[in-house]
Amino acid sequence: MLERWFGNGAQLLGLTVVMFVQTIKYILRGEIDWWESVRQANIIGVNSFVVVGITALFTGFAMSLQISRELMAFGGDTAIGGVVALALIREIGPITAGVMVAGRVGSAIAAELTTMMITEQIDALKVMRIDPVQFLVVPRYVAAMWMMPVLSVYAMFIGLYAGIEISHAAANLPPETFLDSVKQKILDRDFAVHFVKSWINATIVIMFSCAIGLSTRGGAEDVGLATTRAIVWTMTVIFIANYIVTALTYSPRP
Amino acid sequence: MMQVVHLRKIFNGREVLKDVSFEVRPGETLGIIGPSGCGKSTTLKLLCGLLTPDGGKIFKRSEDIGLVFQGSALLNSLTVRENLALALRSRKLPRAEQDRIITEKLKLVGLLDYIDSYPTQLSGGQQKRVSFARAIVNDPKIILYDEPTTGLDPVMSTVIEDYMIELERQLGAACIVVTHQFSTWTRVSDRVLLLHAGVTVWEGTPSEALKSENKYIRQFADATKEGPMLAGTT
Repeated sequence: MLERWFGNGAQLLGLTVVMFVQTIKYILRGEIDWWESVRQANIIGVNSFVVVGITALFTGFAMSLQISRELMAFGGDTAIGGVVALALIREIGPITAGVMVAGRVGSAIAAELTTMMITEQIDALKVMRIDPVQFLVVPRYVAAMWMMPVLSVYAMFIGLYAGIEISHAAANLPPETFLDSVKQKILDRDFAVHFVKSWINATIVIMFSCAIGLSTRGGAEDVGLATTRAIVWTMTVIFIANYIVTALTYSPRP
Repeated sequence: MMQVVHLRKIFNGREVLKDVSFEVRPGETLGIIGPSGCGKSTTLKLLCGLLTPDGGKIFKRSEDIGLVFQGSALLNSLTVRENLALALRSRKLPRAEQDRIITEKLKLVGLLDYIDSYPTQLSGGQQKRVSFARAIVNDPKIILYDEPTTGLDPVMSTVIEDYMIELERQLGAACIVVTHQFSTWTRVSDRVLLLHAGVTVWEGTPSEALKSENKYIRQFADATKEGPMLAGTT
């Protein structure tokens, strides 16, 4: 069983890498369906704003409450804004957007492409000499690369708003003090890492979901299995990749 | 023209096609018939390049192949017009020329009024007819039909069969129809190939099939339980 699990995992990783290379080749050659990319940007990005906003708001509330409580105990009230902002820009913003898009969009992509496989729509594309990677994966990838940073930044701002509200309510901290602390703590490098993480998350969600969708065969039950598999893989890899980027950029150096 | 010589295909160690050879000429329709699992659809997928053979050769005069899928296989996110335009994509035609071809083909299958509808807004028979229009939009020299009348009511089956006869006449294409529907292979085919367990067990015209004493074609044509087909071997 373990051998089969590793075998399937290795096969999926290989397929994902091959698909990613093919996608990049199409993009570098400029073979992009811009209209379809805009349509996908609406599905992936615009339609995710509500769910990402709600998640970021309540994550921001909970995190700010904990941070306010701990820093108040040490008399560090004025540092609340900076600490909340650091957590949001470095970790919570990209992770929240990545996980919510993985759950909402990645699963939908896997289900859609698996259904297309089962109903022979992918075979129809191949007979018409249309590469499914160019037709289906490239526009979704381009759209995700546009929208994921937007969603991450949006999640960060919603989280900051939650931080301002909670620190004002719990620690009686004026918003100006909170924002001053934010300005002092945040560096340009934090924004760069934030965007890098969101682009990596976009790549993980689209490539794994598409690879799972385009490699699944069978019947209706397999659509459900593909959806679950897409969520499990994308979320797991997002958390692993997030740690690797954090370790490479923020590890203390002797 | 299309010629197939000693075609073989193995799936997971199981030889699905063992030895199949045939030839189809322009303006001719070959019916490939047989019970479920005999290798009919596999043959079709090998012919259109969706699968790679493990043995044998396929000679095609043209790479322009139209395939009508069993389940229509229209892209549900696109309108009828966009589905047909997709098949024309590689030719990079001007918009007006593209519209002219799409209109012409939809007129041929009697569905011009549905040009801006989505496949989910159409009945099964209408979807099948759009699938026909898509398959012939590039005037292919070879047309393949995978169970074109399976799941349709008898009246719609007759309509589809009439389209197939008309298309063969109009386009002069080499046509291959995979089916197990009696009315389809007897009405549409010029010649018939009966497959069983991956090999050809009988070949002839539909009228010969109805008179033949061959135990395989007899059992298949008479739809009877008595015969060699239920044994699962040749």
